Amino acid sequence: MLDKKIMEIPGAKQILSLLMLLTLLQSVAIIGQTITISRAIVSLWNGHPLSAQISWLVWFVLLYLLRHLCIYIKQQRLDKFASQASQEIRNKLLEKVFRVGPEITQKQGTGNVTTMALEGIDQVEDYLSLSLSKMINMILIPFVILIAIACFDWKAAAFLLVILPVDVIFMIILGYAAQDKADKQYASYQILANHFVDSLRGIDTLKFFGLSKKYGHSIFKTSEKFRKATISTLKIAILSTFALDFFTTLSIAVVAVFLGLGLINGTMLLYPALVILTLSPEYFLPIRDFSNDYHATLNGKNAFGAINEILDYDEQLPEPQELPQWDAASQLTITNMQHSYDQAQQVNQFDLQLHGFQKVGIVGLSGSGKSTLINLLSGFLQPDQAEISYNGIALDSFKQADWQKQLIYIPQVPYIFHQTLRENIVFYQQDATDEQVAAAVETVGLTDLVADLPDGLETVIGEGARSLSGGQAQRIALARAFLDQSRRIILFDEPTAHLDIETEVELKEKMLPLMENHLVIFATHRLHWLNEMDQVVVLDHGKVAEAGSLTELKQADGALVKLSHAMGRI
Amino acid sequence: MKIFSLLKNDTWIKPYLTKYGKTLVLALFLGFMTFFCGGALMFNSGYLISRSASLPENILVVYVPIVLTRAFGIGRPVFRYIERLTSHNWVLKLTSELRLRLYNVLEKDAVFFKDKHQTGDILGVFSDDIDHIQNLYLRTVFPTIVGWLLYAVIVIALGFFSWFFALAMLLLLGVLTILMPLVALLVNGAKQEQQKQIKNKLYGGLTDNVLGVSDWIFSQRGQEYVSQHDAQEGQLRAVNHELKQHENLRNLLVQLVVAVVTVVIVCWAAFQFPGNHGGAANWIAAFVLVIFPISDAFTQIPGAAAETDIYQDSLSRLNDLSTDEAPTKQETVADPKQLAAGLKAPFKLAVNDLCFSYPDGRRNVLENIDLSLEQGQKLAILGRSGSGKTTLIHLLRGDLKPVSGQITLNGVPVSDLGDEISQFVGVIHQAPYLFNTTVRNNLKIGDENATDEQLWQVLERVGLAEMIRQLPAGLDTPVDEAGQRFSGGERHRLALARILLQDVPLVILDEPTVSLDPVTEQALIETFVEVLAGKTLIWVTHHLQGLSLMDQVIFVEDGELKLNGSPAQLAAENEYYQKLLRIDRGSF
Repeated sequence: MLDKKIMEIPGAKQILSLLMLLTLLQSVAIIGQTITISRAIVSLWNGHPLSAQISWLVWFVLLYLLRHLCIYIKQQRLDKFASQASQEIRNKLLEKVFRVGPEITQKQGTGNVTTMALEGIDQVEDYLSLSLSKMINMILIPFVILIAIACFDWKAAAFLLVILPVDVIFMIILGYAAQDKADKQYASYQILANHFVDSLRGIDTLKFFGLSKKYGHSIFKTSEKFRKATISTLKIAILSTFALDFFTTLSIAVVAVFLGLGLINGTMLLYPALVILTLSPEYFLPIRDFSNDYHATLNGKNAFGAINEILDYDEQLPEPQELPQWDAASQLTITNMQHSYDQAQQVNQFDLQLHGFQKVGIVGLSGSGKSTLINLLSGFLQPDQAEISYNGIALDSFKQADWQKQLIYIPQVPYIFHQTLRENIVFYQQDATDEQVAAAVETVGLTDLVADLPDGLETVIGEGARSLSGGQAQRIALARAFLDQSRRIILFDEPTAHLDIETEVELKEKMLPLMENHLVIFATHRLHWLNEMDQVVVLDHGKVAEAGSLTELKQADGALVKLSHAMGRI
Repeated sequence: MKIFSLLKNDTWIKPYLTKYGKTLVLALFLGFMTFFCGGALMFNSGYLISRSASLPENILVVYVPIVLTRAFGIGRPVFRYIERLTSHNWVLKLTSELRLRLYNVLEKDAVFFKDKHQTGDILGVFSDDIDHIQNLYLRTVFPTIVGWLLYAVIVIALGFFSWFFALAMLLLLGVLTILMPLVALLVNGAKQEQQKQIKNKLYGGLTDNVLGVSDWIFSQRGQEYVSQHDAQEGQLRAVNHELKQHENLRNLLVQLVVAVVTVVIVCWAAFQFPGNHGGAANWIAAFVLVIFPISDAFTQIPGAAAETDIYQDSLSRLNDLSTDEAPTKQETVADPKQLAAGLKAPFKLAVNDLCFSYPDGRRNVLENIDLSLEQGQKLAILGRSGSGKTTLIHLLRGDLKPVSGQITLNGVPVSDLGDEISQFVGVIHQAPYLFNTTVRNNLKIGDENATDEQLWQVLERVGLAEMIRQLPAGLDTPVDEAGQRFSGGERHRLALARILLQDVPLVILDEPTVSLDPVTEQALIETFVEVLAGKTLIWVTHHLQGLSLMDQVIFVEDGELKLNGSPAQLAAENEYYQKLLRIDRGSF
């Protein structure tokens, strides 16, 4: 019932013992509250004056408040515990995400990761603050109350003791049966539920086909179908709550009738009868509370599971190695670097030799392994096996801090943060001076943009603010690279694929000077870039089909020539 | 308070309350009965044992209470069960109406919607808003009204015994049902607003930075961000802490009131029902025991009130949406249907001296554009992003009206054709949308009456028949959400098949091949040109791949036509075009 992982949270054991202690006190207060009010009522019934009941009533109020004070303290402490625990989990999760990176975000989806880190952990917080106390209430309170009832009348206690498991069993059986049926309806239910969002997202398509007006009826019809499906699912899904409710109230009714008969026979007095009658609803209350919130806590439980899955994700961190700075004389040899995706049949296998400040162009069709190679080189993907020699130092993966801190990675669409233009430019070089930034802006051709922006460099750009064109985003990425001259290796992943031809031409002029004195690895399917490369690597089906200088490959009349024919039918 | 002013001007909730009035009243009645039975059970039991304790000579005296005890015992869960079904049913009926309304509002602006709201899944947000309204009813409105009903009934019923006591209860229970909810609204309102703002900021910030996670890792500043985020999260924790404290304190105070109510009732009952071992005193237990089950109905109201803030955003967003619902003035001279019926092939599209600027824009987006396309001609439009290409497409489809100049199809202005334009102009987008249904249904959007034979025919033409045949359920295979089952190229081919079924004389391709590799792109373009032969083709693109297949190429720059000619002619005569061509092809 209780997640083992909860007990691993620091402070969980202390809070549990505190909860148990307070819950016991709470149970005693419940019994006391019942006894005092019953005393007062019976005494009045016996014809004693109200003035004689003042002390009972004062005790009643005090005990009633004691009971709720226990609840108050428990909740306060639990809130604190849950808040601390969720803070810790959130930080662990984010640390992991910002350490492992795209490996996690690509598998889980960015939206998923953010939702998990914010809403998911909020749900976990609720789960922690709700489930623990409800659980302990359920374990302790009914039994303490049962003992109290047994002191007055063991037969009523025995009846309540017997009815509880029957109650629970019925709830579970009905719950399972309902679950089974509900699951069957769930598929169609889900389709109907998504139908609305789906139609909204495709609303322009409907308009293009002149169907959008007519489609409104379909929305209504489907929505009504959805309503019927929901109701029939609900009919069954809430049966278990109904069963619990039914048995509880019926049990109380039965107890009341038994007590009445006992009183008529003279085998019982009013006072114990009243205490037992008042205590019976309290006996069932914790389990009702628990089942009422069960579905709410289920979300938290699932979120907790999903988060733990990420936290337990194996990072496969290789042994950190100290690597010297890449320079004109450096050598990198990659032999038999293999990687295959889970379900794909293609095994990618790469052998490469890079040295000094070479410019290496990588070409190939979609699916030839260009992106895989770039991801392996950036360290975001772990090879299944590899022999890598960096200036003679053996590595088995590029997930090395000393390698990554020399890299500049420029993807097809560079990410622009929702920050000022200046902050975006200095992202890699936080201490850049104004002169350096101005020089970078000048070099990559952002001067016009800066002049156009209302607050120049201090204008907030990115998602949700002023969005930039693909060419402008590329220029910012280049400016980042220009500012950080300590990074001597640039990985380009199809940097111009999204750009219109005229922008590409302008950008090329800015890019070429930046590539000097860097090791450049340039994946592209725009063949004109190859003229600027020292080495060209042609990939085909995840293997290196051909490598060499452009002139050599042209003469060889092999893979590159074939590729250029396939691409060149303009 | 914001929520009240929102409700005052609301058009998304109030009008629907009367619509399914009977079901609504039934749901509220059932909710009332649930608590009534719960209370009556304890009331009756209290009387039953008191009466029994006074040792009646005959068991028949307590026969009625015994039967009633069972009846109320069964009644409570049954009413509760039916109440839940009825209230859900009512809310879902309302949802159907709201969805239709939302759809109709959005439909008016459908074509520009994505341009207007570039970020996030705004459409998903609207759909969530409707879910929020459901919860507003189920979790706040219903419990509150049921509580008030119960409050009214109790006070009136007590009025039969004693006016004075009824007044006392009116005030005491009023603390729970009216005063505390108001205080909760006031005290929490501002805090919740703050909570929401921090949350939104965190959400935006985190999404932004998770998207840019590679840069954080490469710059080795990942941990820096995590602590930055934690600091922001700290503000939220402080607000949450305060809200939770309020909640816990509120619960404690509510119970204090319940304790006071209990004592007051005991005192009143002692005076009202004096007796010795029975008689009127049998009622004392009944009146006291009834408090505990009934108080549940009241104690939930302050909590429910504190939640309303969550719904404010949804309400105001939906209401804002409908302010622009006012019908756009249609100044059409003739009925679009008649106009459309009058148009016969061959279709000639003419653009005369077209100028366009957005109402808020400073300069013209398009200036003095002249074009003329005969049926079957193929035109390519090139230009940078922001040069006005997309605007031109909206104008060609008649979704926007020119500021001056005209676009005519066989002499009829395209904007006069209204929705009938879809008989003449088809559009394929950069990312064609596939609905989350079967392949068949997706294709049939092009022509609802298409036979299977026709479907296979078009699939054959776009080169997908083979692939679809191999799918587990053929045409009945679901395409999955947003068509994820298929690759980019395949999705475009499905969109093309749809257009073929639509059978329009003029097709606009809006950068359909972006993000495909050159070989796939070339093959796709060739397919497009081949299967759309005979139709007028307008193709917006950003580079030169496939351009030689076109009859005419125009370059749009800063809203004006910069180059205009056939590809061969431009390649032979125009220096700029030659330069681009050289670059695009590489040097071999």
